[in-house]
Formats: sequence, C-alpha cells, structure tokens
Amino acid sequence: MRRVVVTGIGIISPVGNNPYEFFINLMTGTSGIRQLETDFSALLQVKIAASVNDFNPLAHFPKNKASNLDRTTQFALVASRQGIADSGLDLYKEDRARVGVYFGTGMGSISTIDQGYARLYRNNADRLNPVALLTSMNNAAGSQIVLDFAITGPSMTFCTACSSSTVAIGEASRVIRYGHADVMLAGGSEAMLTYGAMKAWEGLRTLALADPENLAASCKPFSLDRSGLVLGEGAAMLVLEEYEHAKARGAHIYGEIIGYGNCSDSAHITQPSVEGQVRAMRLALKEAGIAGHELDYINAHGTGTQLNDKIETAAIKQVCGATVPVSSTKSMHGHLMGASGAVEFVACLMAMEKQAIPPTANLKKSDPECDLDYVPNKGRANVRVNTVMSNSFAFGGTSAVLIARTL
Amino acid sequence: MDTFETLRQIIVDKYERDVSSITPESNLRALDFDSLNAFEIIFELEEKFDINVPTQIVPLDTLQDVVNLIDKTRSEQGK
Repeated sequence: MRRVVVTGIGIISPVGNNPYEFFINLMTGTSGIRQLETDFSALLQVKIAASVNDFNPLAHFPKNKASNLDRTTQFALVASRQGIADSGLDLYKEDRARVGVYFGTGMGSISTIDQGYARLYRNNADRLNPVALLTSMNNAAGSQIVLDFAITGPSMTFCTACSSSTVAIGEASRVIRYGHADVMLAGGSEAMLTYGAMKAWEGLRTLALADPENLAASCKPFSLDRSGLVLGEGAAMLVLEEYEHAKARGAHIYGEIIGYGNCSDSAHITQPSVEGQVRAMRLALKEAGIAGHELDYINAHGTGTQLNDKIETAAIKQVCGATVPVSSTKSMHGHLMGASGAVEFVACLMAMEKQAIPPTANLKKSDPECDLDYVPNKGRANVRVNTVMSNSFAFGGTSAVLIARTL
Repeated sequence: MDTFETLRQIIVDKYERDVSSITPESNLRALDFDSLNAFEIIFELEEKFDINVPTQIVPLDTLQDVVNLIDKTRSEQGK
C-alpha cells in the first residue's frame, strides 16, 4: 500500500496565519478569543468569538475577485497557496491530473447567504448580484482552489459539520493510498461569524458565557466551570503527498498519516456517544497498527461543553487509557466548526515538528468526570512526540479521527 | 446621469482598469470581460439607475451595446 505524508501546511487562524506563529501562540497559551467587533454585535447575547482580525483580502486578490469570494473561500484560497508554497511543489512541473482537492466546510459560504437574505427580506431588494449563486454554493471554495492551481485531478467537498475537514483529510489520504492521485490539497475553511449563524448558535444554547474577568479565557474545556464553546473562524489546508514522490524531490515531511477512522454515532443529532467515539478511534488505531496507549499526544475535540468533554474523556479512557497527554487547543483558537479538524491536525503535526505539546488553557477547576492528563494551562516543551491523534466529533454524529507519526 | 460615464466609472472602480482604455467602442472581450462580468456590470447599472433589465438580453459586444441596452430600459421604465 502506498504511504501518505504531509509536506505543506497553510493556515489562517485566530491565533496566527502561519503554522509556526500558530503553534508558538498555542504553546504560550495565547488566546484568539475576543470581543466580536461587528455592526450587529449589539444584537447578540453572546458577543465573544475567536475571529481572524489580521486578514486583508485585497492583499491576496484583485478588488473585483475579492468581492466575488465569500470569506470562507478567501481563507481557503490563501491557506492553499500558503500550503503549496510551504511544500516547495512546483505544480507546473507536476501532472495536474494526479493532483486533487478535498475540502471540508460546515456552513460553507454563510456570509454571502446571510447578506443575500438581508438584502431580499430586510431591505426589500428585488435582485441579487449575478455571482451570488456562484459565491454561495457549497463547493465554491473547493472549486476556486481547483481553478487557482489549474488542478485537474479528483475534487470533492465534504460537509459533516465539525468533522468536515478531518473527513476531507482522511478521505484525501485514501485517494493517494489507493493510487488515484499523488498529491492532494486537503483541509477546510469556515467563516460563520455572521448575524444569522450566530443567532442560530445562540438558539442552541451551547455557546460559552463571556468570562467576566478575562474574555480571552471564556472557553474552558474539561474544567468544572466550563460553559460551552466559543465560535471561531479560519482555515487550514495541507499538502498530502505520496511518500516516494515526496522523497524523490527531497521534500520536508511533517509526518505520515497512518490511520483514519470514520463512523456514525446514529444516536442523536447533537449529543455525542461514547460508543461512536470509541469506534472511530479504534478504526483509526487499527489502520495505524498501534495501540491507543502508544500515542504520544491526543488533540481532543474538546469543545468545552459539559456533555462533550465528559463523553470524550470516557471514550479516550476506554481506548487509550489515562496516561496519554490530551489537550483541547479550542481553549485558545475557538471552535472553527468545519475547519476545526484541519486546524487541530496542524497542531498535532507541529507538536511532532517541535517535539512539544500544547496545553489546554483555562483549566482551573478539576471535574471528577474529566480525569485525564489534559496538559493544563502550560505547554510541554522537549518531550517525545512521535505519534499523534486528532479527534473530531460532529453534530449529526459523523466521528472522524486521524493518526500521524514522524518518519 | 450619463449612462456611458456611469458605466466607465463602474469599470474603473470595480475592475481597476485604466480610464483611458475605456471608450464606447471598447470591445468587452478586449477588456477581458466574460459574460459573467457583463452581467455584473449590468447589475451595477440596474442599481445606479433603479431599473430592471429583462432577464433575456441581446448579445453585447461593445460598451456602446451596453449603453444602448441601459438607455432603452431607462426610457421604457421612465428612469
């Protein structure tokens, strides 16, 4: 079977717009959670989010092109360009029929859709921009990436809520493994800090309350006083490459993807299930050919909701025991929904790259039902990190798990 | 408001083209505009003049063709 390695990383996130800045901020416990500064903030009950503040579309696209790309697509394109540049691949020298794009997003081009609704139903306009459809279709970002690089291999958009980009990366690794492509751009993007999307999340009553003393510390995964998740935005796109192809050109290799598990809880539309999570982790471990306790680091789904964190704790304990370090970096970069899996897999790859484990921030009060080693509040440098696992568990019940190792 | 001047301003603002390259005789293809760009330009003109251009439109080759379409619609809709 062909082997699959990661040779390029692109990332736009609330805590950094390249993998090194992103990881240093995680290691130092720097939070991207802040007051949401928008023209609709006053209408929200929850006014905090992990927004991407230092992103200027006009630095990346001509004015007219930028206006025809949803923010989700802008993030996806910039992260893709960054990933390709980081990989050192010269796509013009590649057979681009052997290069593909697998992309994941939860709510797709929700900004465009939200603005369209406001225009029609609030402002009573009777027409929409001619490109509204092309900007808002769910495969808009995936299609724009294909066009940007003149890629002619397989392309697909995955929509499985919070596990979308984990699924995209896992499925892309199989495309290479089974010989259908040599290079895959894979990951996801999400930009849902819009009035409509935030109101929908408010309605679900799962968003964290703002910490009155420190807004940046509002997301508290695994802590007894956790009150929910904090919405975030951003993108991560990885370059996956067949091992021999990468080796032949002397590429830098961040890690090898050795396991991917994907299954459905089939239990409840929102409530996670221990059984489903256990099965997803076991599927990935079986493919990887290792035991759970052999992992050096687990990046948990760790949303910071009461239910998720205790269910995930029980599932991890059942599969991996209680000694493997587990952290939720969502405590700092928030929940990027469809993009979160890819962003957290970047945290795993960088953990191997730097031989360091990022912390779970804001873990001040221990919960008897959350009793693993969560790397509380302080990252660990100079530790052995050769095998990592990233968990993504979604509304709708699609659980997806990735395992990677150093070469 | 002059239709051509409005059109020229849209092209300069939205597409960042050099104003001197834009004349009534300019060909849309020569300006590197495809049919989607033409629809976008018509959308902007509809907004500016508060008109509704019919969904089915005649083939447009030059900017003068666009001006004629808009002027005809303005006249029919009294705008």
